[in-house]
Amino acid sequence: MIVILFFLTLFIASIAAGALGSIVGIGGGLIVIPILTLFLGVDIHYAIGASIVSIIATSSGAAATYVKDRITNLRIGMFLETGTTIGAIIGAAIAAYLSATILEAIFGTILIISLVPLVRKIGEEFPPMQELKGLAKKLNLRGDYVERDGSKIEYNATNPGKGLAGMLVAGLISGLLGIGSGTFKVLSMDLAMKLPMKVSTTTSNFMIGVTAAASAGIYFARGDVNPLITAPVALGILIGASMGTHLLVKAKNTAIRKIFAIVLAASAIEMIIRALGF
Amino acid sequence: MNKILGIVLRSGVILSGAIIAIGTGLFIANHSLDDTSSYLAYNPSIVPHGNFPASLASIASELASLNPASIIQLGFLVLLATPVTRVALSLFLFAAERDRKFVYLTAAVLAVLLFSILATPLIPLFNG
Repeated sequence: MIVILFFLTLFIASIAAGALGSIVGIGGGLIVIPILTLFLGVDIHYAIGASIVSIIATSSGAAATYVKDRITNLRIGMFLETGTTIGAIIGAAIAAYLSATILEAIFGTILIISLVPLVRKIGEEFPPMQELKGLAKKLNLRGDYVERDGSKIEYNATNPGKGLAGMLVAGLISGLLGIGSGTFKVLSMDLAMKLPMKVSTTTSNFMIGVTAAASAGIYFARGDVNPLITAPVALGILIGASMGTHLLVKAKNTAIRKIFAIVLAASAIEMIIRALGF
Repeated sequence: MNKILGIVLRSGVILSGAIIAIGTGLFIANHSLDDTSSYLAYNPSIVPHGNFPASLASIASELASLNPASIIQLGFLVLLATPVTRVALSLFLFAAERDRKFVYLTAAVLAVLLFSILATPLIPLFNG
């Protein structure tokens, strides 16, 4: 393929990946990796390197808007980030000794199973108010944000221990496979900690950038971050993410959860297909 | 403080996007009709695996000659710096709120983050 065509294809796919990723709190590897490996015939190592670029670009590209609108919960994000960064380092350290195939099969299965509780609360606009107690009270894991209609939404986090455990797993996966950690982050915050969906996806959006940055040094030094791929991915994602943020602010929580459920099913299928060796 | 954070994030993103766009422009101007295969060659037996600069020293030395690959790599490093800066600024944010628990927590995250970006590429355990 000639350079200009390769650039344009990847650039357009990345705009879509950035818009979708910034809304549901994932990094866009879901779209970027198969485009690169299946459609453009690029080596999987470069594809995972591109996924790291796409995660950081989605996170930073969307961050400015979400910080301004104060939807991201920095306290909850930072508390959970202790789990993901440590998980990511452990994952990167043991990656050489584990089979990626088995891991993908396991994580794909976990994602499919977690569709059940997610679908059960598919129509829920706001979670019922939780009592602030235990560790969540000690760390004051609560917050509020203003919806488009001007109403102030308050919430308290519950089950911080379960949330943190979920984040350790999310960090492990991103360290081991370089992908898929955004879906686990959103799931932990939505299902275990019972945060409003927008808070879960925007806080995940903050966290994925930090987790990906933690493993970026290794991938970069190995030479897995290829500039010919980085350029169209980063530019496309930055444009797509800034478009996505405007959609999220206006969207209903139920709509975001529906899109997330579809994305979750797609990433589960993608992981299992890869495990089966296609 | 949130305002400062927003401005820093936005400038980091714009700066990195601009550097990458310049590198892309230079590359396309001279190579738009090249075949991609030589640029996408992956060699598992040597590190770095590709034929482009992947260390600070090699990027810096080729920047002087306006090598587009080096310019794009530099843009990526600026992008990589934005989440790190965000965590570092959060440290000040929590300090200003006199929230001691979160100052410690954020300092721990920042330490792990800096360790894994700067130190792990040098440790063989992580490069299997």
